Amino acid sequence: MSTLKRTWKVNGQTVPIRAPAGRRLLDVLRDDLGLVGTKESCGEGECGACTVIVDNEPVVSCLIPAGQLPDGTAILTIEGIEKTRIGRLIQRAFLECGAVQCGFCIPGMVVSSYALLVKNPRPSTPAIREGLAGNLCRCTGYTKIIQAVKLAAARLPKRK
Amino acid sequence: MKITETIDIRFPKTLAEALRLQAGEKTRGQLLAGGTDLMVQWASGAPTPERATSIWNLPELDAIEIFDDFIEVGAGVTHAFLRDAAPIHRHLPALVAAAATIGAAQIQARGTLGGNAANASPAGDTAPALLVSGGSVLLASRSGTRTVPLDRFWTAYRRIDAQPDEIIVAFRLPRKGSARERFRKIGTRRAQAISKVMAASRIRIVKGRVTSAAIALGSIAPTPVRLSAVESLLVGQKLTPALIDEAEQLAQATVQPIDDIRSSADYRRWASGRLVRDALENL
Repeated sequence: MSTLKRTWKVNGQTVPIRAPAGRRLLDVLRDDLGLVGTKESCGEGECGACTVIVDNEPVVSCLIPAGQLPDGTAILTIEGIEKTRIGRLIQRAFLECGAVQCGFCIPGMVVSSYALLVKNPRPSTPAIREGLAGNLCRCTGYTKIIQAVKLAAARLPKRK
Repeated sequence: MKITETIDIRFPKTLAEALRLQAGEKTRGQLLAGGTDLMVQWASGAPTPERATSIWNLPELDAIEIFDDFIEVGAGVTHAFLRDAAPIHRHLPALVAAAATIGAAQIQARGTLGGNAANASPAGDTAPALLVSGGSVLLASRSGTRTVPLDRFWTAYRRIDAQPDEIIVAFRLPRKGSARERFRKIGTRRAQAISKVMAASRIRIVKGRVTSAAIALGSIAPTPVRLSAVESLLVGQKLTPALIDEAEQLAQATVQPIDDIRSSADYRRWASGRLVRDALENL
């Protein structure tokens, strides 16, 4: 098995990667880099718990072999998102709306919410539902999660 | 060690390099694009190949080109990209609608048009939309390229007309022109669901009469299929309520779906007719 030698930008920092080419991005993040905020639930791309942002697109990290990400790939995980202004707004809104119960799906929910709000700062309710459709939550029933994304959107700094 | 780490994955940087790998029996690997089907199959216990050749991000497979009569869509174009591409909205709207029903944002960002076609699931969401365009698939190998009409591309359950050394490079899809297109998918929920039945249609009406009709269904046969009997019934006719009734019944009589975990043959037969009606009533 060939060992991969890559350099990615993870949460803004340049990070050397040494891993088998077929290792899932999820395992590189959690096991090699210790970024355990990204969760594994289904491992089959259905639930969205392992969502991260790769080159500005939300993806499920359980379905990406590390070798498919070239040098210079920009990866943003929940640990990076919580250091951004939008990320903190989303976190606070989730807390205030009571959008978190067991919490296991929440890092993925926050990552998908972030990806949505960066692209569409004033999403309609159907747009929020679609933006989060790839993230499953078995506790909340989604209502408060959707309220939280709306609240975060309303608090976003106004842009021209 | 996770199962995908046992696979010897190659990462060619150009199509030429990938074709060279695929040309040799000892270097050839399972083609891997966005991984949204294969990584799932491997994770769920399907046998893994010894080698894989990653064709994700090959620059030669990434373009959408507009020609007078058709659009050439690179096999590596993602569903997310299709949804955002203005020429696809204008000339191939059923394909946009189909791409929008695949998985959710995370899957659309990685899944590719070529991967969806190569996976050859009867439930492949883009297949009916590709079929109604009447287009073809462009395949390349080290010895050259060839085109295969889409209606002959899916040869049997999960089988495509491609040789082991060939790579799907693009789709040549005739523009809809003045025809109207529609796509509808019936699944358990709107996102992350595999279809029970789905339909795409491209129908042209001139002075009240149907001048051309293409209707394709997915998830009701071992391959995606065109409903040629229904198409022939419609061409040359005025779309009266009686003709729409007849088309619905003919669709139900023609399809031979099966019972499986996602739906029953009876429901699929009934829904096939309703989807044909829906296409004709919403032109």
